[in-house]
Amino acid sequence: MSAPIEVVEREFGELALNMGPQHPSTHGVLRLILHLSGETVVKADPSIGYLHRGVEKLSEHLAYDQLAPVYERDDYLAPTANSHAYCLAVEALGKIEVPPRGRWMRAFVAEWQRVSSHLVWLGTLGLDLGGALGGGTTLYMHCFREREKILDLLEELTGTRYHTNMNMIGGCRYDLDGAMAAKSVALSAEIARALPELHALAGDTGIFRERTEGVGVITKDLALSLGVTGPTLRASGFPTDIRTAAPYDAYPELRFEIPVRQAGDALARYQVRMDEIAISLRLVDAIVEGLPPGPLFSRKPIKNPKATKLPAGETYVAVESPRGELGFHLVSDGTAQPLRLKINAPSFANLQAVPHLLPGGLVADVVAILGSLDPVMGDVDR
Amino acid sequence: MASARAVFQGTLLALTATLKNAFRKPNTVRYPKQKRTLPGQWRAGSFALTIDPATGEENCIGCRLCEYICPSEIIAVTLRKGEARKNGIGATYCDVFTLDYQACMQCELCIQVCPTDAIVMTRALAPVATTRDGLFLSKERLMANGRELVAEPALTSQATGTKLREWTDAARGLPPAEPKTEGGA
Amino acid sequence: MTGWLGALVLSATVLLVAMTIVAYLTWIERKVAARFQNRIGPYQVGVPHGWLQPLADVLKLIVKEDITPRSADPLLFNLAPVMVVAPALIGFAFIPLAPGLAVVDHPYSYLFFTAFASLTLLGIFAAGWSSNNKYALLSALRMVAMVASYEIPLLLTLLVPAVFAGSFRLTDVVEAQRGLWFIAAPVVGQVAFLVFLVCALAEGNKVPLDLIEAESELIAAYNVEYSGIKFALFYAGEYAHTLAICALAATVFLGGYLGPAFLPGVVWLLLKILVLFLGVLWIRWSLLRVRIDQALRLNWMVLLPIALVNLLAAAWWVARS
Repeated sequence: MSAPIEVVEREFGELALNMGPQHPSTHGVLRLILHLSGETVVKADPSIGYLHRGVEKLSEHLAYDQLAPVYERDDYLAPTANSHAYCLAVEALGKIEVPPRGRWMRAFVAEWQRVSSHLVWLGTLGLDLGGALGGGTTLYMHCFREREKILDLLEELTGTRYHTNMNMIGGCRYDLDGAMAAKSVALSAEIARALPELHALAGDTGIFRERTEGVGVITKDLALSLGVTGPTLRASGFPTDIRTAAPYDAYPELRFEIPVRQAGDALARYQVRMDEIAISLRLVDAIVEGLPPGPLFSRKPIKNPKATKLPAGETYVAVESPRGELGFHLVSDGTAQPLRLKINAPSFANLQAVPHLLPGGLVADVVAILGSLDPVMGDVDR
Repeated sequence: MASARAVFQGTLLALTATLKNAFRKPNTVRYPKQKRTLPGQWRAGSFALTIDPATGEENCIGCRLCEYICPSEIIAVTLRKGEARKNGIGATYCDVFTLDYQACMQCELCIQVCPTDAIVMTRALAPVATTRDGLFLSKERLMANGRELVAEPALTSQATGTKLREWTDAARGLPPAEPKTEGGA
Repeated sequence: MTGWLGALVLSATVLLVAMTIVAYLTWIERKVAARFQNRIGPYQVGVPHGWLQPLADVLKLIVKEDITPRSADPLLFNLAPVMVVAPALIGFAFIPLAPGLAVVDHPYSYLFFTAFASLTLLGIFAAGWSSNNKYALLSALRMVAMVASYEIPLLLTLLVPAVFAGSFRLTDVVEAQRGLWFIAAPVVGQVAFLVFLVCALAEGNKVPLDLIEAESELIAAYNVEYSGIKFALFYAGEYAHTLAICALAATVFLGGYLGPAFLPGVVWLLLKILVLFLGVLWIRWSLLRVRIDQALRLNWMVLLPIALVNLLAAAWWVARS
């Protein structure tokens, strides 16, 4: 057992504040040890691991077919992104073909969950910036109202709102019929209509701009040296998106823009994510329109999971989760269980920016920066 | 820094947005007086071991496929041999069938692999209990749920094993094979 | 002898009514805030509209365990809630309810009101300091910087009605509005009211200027170590302070108990207070929070010059007419 972390105030007038695992604004169980001089942050040390559940070790004991629902609990705001990446990695190693309709349905759920995850991000950013007893809660309630509609759609499609276990190795499980497709199109129009209202309560508010402009600037050099991914990277000027850089599933056949901003501050990250919501809503419509006919799944029905063996070898496949590049590095030794499965978590990479961004800002900027980086502790700690 | 005018206009925008919402109908569903209809494929309910309505025999053949596939390893089944069933699915039964609902993550894999549609989820809300034993589904409780489903078939989730295998059939949705013709045209 | 007995009865009545109103202000806040968020507020406790919810909240807080941290300063820790509630309640004594009827009708009642309203600062600072908790300390630091700064434009705008009325007695200030409410005084009245509104939001810890109790950064800030009845006193003190400020604004800007004769003056006063409270709620539940340096910049660079110029303009206008 390592010794508990000693938090020592280094000089007179410096306050060491423990923004501990239990805090309304740390986006999960993140412990930030802040050294403050008055209100200014002088040093920040993030301490993680409070949500570590040993998923990678668990992977070495379960069979391939059993593992897909387990990873949905990692990045719990976009559950199918995790199982999506896992299935792609296993399919790459095992040379398993996925039929076109299966690939498009996977992209359908992935894009809806991107919208849902960004709505949670915006709502909790409102709570962070505006407080639970003020305008932030109004923004939060509006975002979650829209998100409930998305979850109801997923519930009708799959049976549960959230951890849907939609993806299987070789395809996916649930299909869109005409009625569900019409519901999806109607819902995307409804949420697109609600977006201006969310803008009015968030980004168009002058106060939001004041709180986020120039706050937490990640310069191009810092972004590259830290390895941040996703909207955080795109807000610093790099047009990198796994969906176009290394396309998978339906994305080679879909046309969509990648929002990029140059400023690199919290406001730029906000703008990139809001643009992504609008783009994803158009993408789900395009997916519904272009859904190819055919089967969803390309293998025989699963019976005994221990029967599925992958050839020995290793592979790395990444998807674009709402937080960035979510990659699975899979090493197989020819048996029915992985030898080693390492998850490359985007929130882990983005969180590494925290000790670089927080110093120099005020305590109020800490929550703005954390909110704009959008870490999910399940993803960070796995 | 944003200009004072931008702050002022933005404030007015936020105020107007909130005021418009004050006069809209609220979204609240007054549970438990108002309940919502659960979708057909609902899988966050309880489990049941089904009974063949025609013959009254239990469908579970004790094959343990659900036990092997469960990622949370919450199912325990033992097999026993018995008399052959009238509906022809075999002479094996499950002796012990326990499902520890506490650790169930509702992934539906057990439902998917069941060859006789014995284990299904019910379209009711998940069981609630105040003790750990209350969430431990023994065979008696599962069979009792199964008898409820015979009385009220609409309570079964539509995602039974047969349906799930049908939906994910590798030949489903493919156009029928073209008959071969001699030569061209 | 009926003089002091009458005063005792009147003050007891005013206090009781004010505390009931404070309790029901929490209910109004929850219902109105819910409507802004497309939901209904409490509706179970006292069906159908949840009107027993404040009673349930008070009962719950009373039966909670009363914790005093071992390393907290016991005297200040226990005194702080009282220091926060008492000045707000004392303020109710000065509000005129009808022509000539106020619990205390003193020639300087206006100044007394503002003086007592400032005492809540001390209570919050005592709470922040004596809790021996870094979050509370941060909140106390912010409060001293912010609230003390916002006092100045607040007082400067509050001087405008006194200048118009030519007196510091609140009854005179109300009577001087028989012709025109002071908020309707051209430009000067509206500017004074707007600046007053912003400063009152700061004093009363309301979003967008609720930095003192910024729950997303400092959790519960100055009352983070409080539970049970002491927390209930803080909670009630916040609403009592809001009620007192709204009552003052209704009195000096909106004409107090003046109104058409088909309703008694007290009812008009309560209606005006309700309208102001709803306005505060509307602002509170729509806007995000500003940062401390932006709040201070707003105060010293914007509000203070405007308030000074406004006061001079009001004085010039009165001297001219």
